[in-house]
Amino acid sequence: MQLTYLEAIRQGIWEEMDRDPTVFCLGEDIGIYGGAFKVTDGFIDRFGPERVIDTPIAESAIVGAAFGASLTGMRPVAEFQFMDFIGCAFNQISNMVAKTHYLWGAPAPLVLRGPSGGYVHGGPFHSQNPEMWFVHNPGLKVICPATPYDAKGLIKAAIRDNNPCIFFEHKYLYRRIKEEVPTEDYVVPIGKGRVAREGKDLSVITYAAMVHTALEAAEILNKEGIDLEIVDLRTVSPLDREAIVQTVKKTNKVIILHEHSRTGGLAGEIAAIINEEAFDDLDGPIVRIAGLDSAIPFSPPQEHHYLPKVEDVVREARRLRAY
Amino acid sequence: MSNTKKKSKASSNGHRPRANARGVADAFVRSQPKNSKTNGTPGNGNLRTYEIPDYRLEHPNFTVHQAIEKDKQGHEQVRYEVEGDLNTPVPPIRDSKYLSKQQAIEIYRFMLLNRKMEVALENLYKQGKVVGGVYFGLGQEACSCASAYALDKDDWFAPMIRNQGSLLVRGFRAADTMMQYMAKADSPTKGRDGTSHFGDIEKRNMVSPISMLGDLIPVLSGVALGARLQERNVAVMTYIGDGGQSTGVTYEGINFAAVQNLGLVLFVESNLWAYSTPSEMQYRCKDLAERAIGYGIPGVIVDGTDACQVYDAAREAVERAHRGEGPTLIEAKMMRMKGHAIHDAAAYVPKPMFDFWKKRDPIARFENYLVKEKKWLTAKENESLIKEVEEVIEAEREIAVNSPMPTPESAEGGVFCEEGCHEIKPKYGMPKVKKGTSGYKETEAAVHLK
Repeated sequence: MQLTYLEAIRQGIWEEMDRDPTVFCLGEDIGIYGGAFKVTDGFIDRFGPERVIDTPIAESAIVGAAFGASLTGMRPVAEFQFMDFIGCAFNQISNMVAKTHYLWGAPAPLVLRGPSGGYVHGGPFHSQNPEMWFVHNPGLKVICPATPYDAKGLIKAAIRDNNPCIFFEHKYLYRRIKEEVPTEDYVVPIGKGRVAREGKDLSVITYAAMVHTALEAAEILNKEGIDLEIVDLRTVSPLDREAIVQTVKKTNKVIILHEHSRTGGLAGEIAAIINEEAFDDLDGPIVRIAGLDSAIPFSPPQEHHYLPKVEDVVREARRLRAY
Repeated sequence: MSNTKKKSKASSNGHRPRANARGVADAFVRSQPKNSKTNGTPGNGNLRTYEIPDYRLEHPNFTVHQAIEKDKQGHEQVRYEVEGDLNTPVPPIRDSKYLSKQQAIEIYRFMLLNRKMEVALENLYKQGKVVGGVYFGLGQEACSCASAYALDKDDWFAPMIRNQGSLLVRGFRAADTMMQYMAKADSPTKGRDGTSHFGDIEKRNMVSPISMLGDLIPVLSGVALGARLQERNVAVMTYIGDGGQSTGVTYEGINFAAVQNLGLVLFVESNLWAYSTPSEMQYRCKDLAERAIGYGIPGVIVDGTDACQVYDAAREAVERAHRGEGPTLIEAKMMRMKGHAIHDAAAYVPKPMFDFWKKRDPIARFENYLVKEKKWLTAKENESLIKEVEEVIEAEREIAVNSPMPTPESAEGGVFCEEGCHEIKPKYGMPKVKKGTSGYKETEAAVHLK
């Protein structure tokens, strides 16, 4: 079945709710309205208002309630209308949820999900990629899928996982990409990357919407005889160190591409992993392509300037190739 | 705010008699706006009034403000001053509507355990055996013990740092708390956290607190939500101080429980001091129970040093929760009788306040009630009860002291629930789900950002 990225997530949650009575959804405007992006459209009619709960505008309460319910053996799926608002629940996630298993041995099988990312002119409070706030929090799994197949398989894996999972859906991809997704039940393992494009000259390590940016750049570079390998991490915490090291050993040249700000970004962490595990395999500097160290501006020309682009990847690949 | 300016009486926040303080009130009548007969109100003459049942037999009448004093050298120093009537007689214990003789004695025993455990902890600290500080619930034992005593086995609770008595009532050993303070290998968190920061979702239904205040309120509400999805109305009890209730998440959590009609039993422990800040600098309303009006839930005031009042209010709130009637806010008034933690001598508290509340010591009052007023305990029985409690605490202290320290390597692991580590299953039974007839179809609705 051909599914959009958004539909794949919808279907994944729907199937899990159908399969497992302990799964329920809560969030702002997710019931009769079906959510700001319609991920839960029609869910309340099927599963009832008890399992599709419209909440007050209170992100700490949403996360707290999801966590509390998870302690009774439920598997809540909490929606953030935009992932930018996850900051409102930061303490609840960082100090309550993330530490709970390590400190007192209580599992917290909950999913916090919502749209993130730029390229849709959402402005500084509706375009952010706040995944790094949580990568630095041991105890959380942070998932950022790039394709409909992975989005469905990973949301199902997240709901079935016994740990708190934060699921970042890229809103630019919601209805822009479509692919064949199996009708039968499947999951994609959390913590495992994939090679999105095999190549031999240099590697782009990336995830989410940037996978598609890299794929576009690869087509252009291919015509110039530069063969890009693209690694889609799929999960940013825990990182698939093996996938990172493997591609470095193969191409010896690496570009790390992400949408969020450069300083303190995931590229720094990946560069450190390469330094620790594949230093001798490098034939050139590790290159970072990332968002600017500022808030994401609203106006389209400014937003375009802030965010990584196909031409950035093309330019940096040419430069790195010369080493 | 000027330091010298004294607060007007009109801005007093709650330790003064209420104009219409009710004696025995019908607690837990949902606050309903009432048409007042008062003339001269604006508009159409509808003045809405609400009722806050107040179980107390006295209404302490004093306020704290900042004032400038001169020290011996004549230098100006800002100090807290108390103003009001601090010589009122100690009221009697209010007879419980529910407690039997045996139950009252059992609560008294838990209060004794609570206090003697904390005395033992203070000694362990002085012997250098405690890692970090010790937090005390001195003066608050009635509130911790009698509240938790009202819970059923299947109910849930989460203590705050001073509710060490609640843990004892719920079946944890004094040694558990002592080992937490000493960071021992056998502590409930195996050394990973201290104090009352531990939990048990299997048997005793306790959520571990974190140091940030208010976050437990939505979490406990979520526990009630999870149970309700499994068709069980459980009561979920937690506590917040007059300081902690200033946090935004307190509002979010109570409001969530109110909107969802969840069985939250929230004790607002008005113990007058949040670390060094008096309650006058935390909130402006008269009594924190009034907050309940804004949430649309019942609020009630009790004397936090009277175990019977605390129990009765807790029990009625727990029963409401079991009937699926939603949350209750109980304000318990008392004073924190030590500093924030053991390092803090609480020199900022005006001495007359200590003297006033010392006369209202919850254990001394309850002892007097049981021995002299009700004659439910003879002096001899009381003596042997105290001795028995002391022996228990001594034995627990031995266990705690003899537990080894954790190995350095035990810092590792357990960040995630790995394969086979826990089985996740609904605690009260698989939810019975009803499914609508509409099947899955793709959504085509308009969205916010494309």
